[in-house]
Amino acid sequence: MKMWLKVVLVLVVVGIIAAIGLYIYINKPNKDIETAKTEYTLKADDIYKEYSANKAKADSLYNGKVIEISGNFSKIDAPSDTLVVAIFTQKQDTTNKAKSDDPFADLGGDIRCTMLQKYIAETKKLVPETAVKIKGLCNGMNGADLIFEKCSIVK
Amino acid sequence: MKIVLRLIIVLMMLSSSVFAQKYMTKNGKITFNSDAPMEKIEGKNNQVKVIVDATTGDLAFQVLITSFEFKQALMQEHFNENYMESPKYPNSTFKGKITNAKDINFTKNGKYNAVVEGDLTIHGVTKKVKENGSIEVKDGKVSVNSKFNIAIKDYKISIPGAVAGKIAESVQIVVDATLEALKK
Repeated sequence: MKMWLKVVLVLVVVGIIAAIGLYIYINKPNKDIETAKTEYTLKADDIYKEYSANKAKADSLYNGKVIEISGNFSKIDAPSDTLVVAIFTQKQDTTNKAKSDDPFADLGGDIRCTMLQKYIAETKKLVPETAVKIKGLCNGMNGADLIFEKCSIVK
Repeated sequence: MKIVLRLIIVLMMLSSSVFAQKYMTKNGKITFNSDAPMEKIEGKNNQVKVIVDATTGDLAFQVLITSFEFKQALMQEHFNENYMESPKYPNSTFKGKITNAKDINFTKNGKYNAVVEGDLTIHGVTKKVKENGSIEVKDGKVSVNSKFNIAIKDYKISIPGAVAGKIAESVQIVVDATLEALKK
């Protein structure tokens, strides 16, 4: 085989491998939170208290982490068949409420867990005020609410 | 005595329906589209807080930036880390008024045009905006819908040169939220 042909072949092979690699990199799927390793296991009330006490510290510890929380499940919000949110209602410090100009002050604070599609049926069967363990991706605070996404029920 | 009691109950029911003037949801939906020639980018957020005060016309939104979901993990990473800098600016908010709130009857089924004016904060930058939308009242529920465009440079969101062609300069924001009367 001629030298130049070898060089061209090698370049073509390298190019194809690089293109495949780039394609995989760009299209890498979203992390599977259900099977991902749990980084923290906490009581629902405790993690909420940590965010309330020192948001910056809690943000740096927990945002973007896979966390298992356990506590007394309060209720669900089910605005559509494909969107079900499990809620752990949190006690609010209402002493400063009158002074607050926060338009959302009346809405209170929850831990809100958007459930994965495959857990929707099971979530709808949860009994309020019973102990539930939920695993999900912690996204941090939206006002007084602590948001978890891609959640599953841990048995 | 019984009549007095009945009267009180009827009055209480009336007053609660008259004074239940705030509507809210914590599951509003915001979608944004960047329709550039190279690539279509779409992000969805289903955990948007919305509150409307029917008497004053006050309207507020609160969005957690990290809750926007994308088809590709890499897009979500870039969105949070490079463009929106969500660790630094975790929330976007809107605080304003429905300027024609008087024309909207929140107790009667129907679809109304709404003009909304106020402060939109994205990426730590606050801008005065005025947008059109619609409010639909159906059986006590209030749907808020709006579609508008924002220029990303207005909010100091910088796009690196390498991908500048991929991302449109104007991004379409679609708001779709169904609110329920706030129970006290």
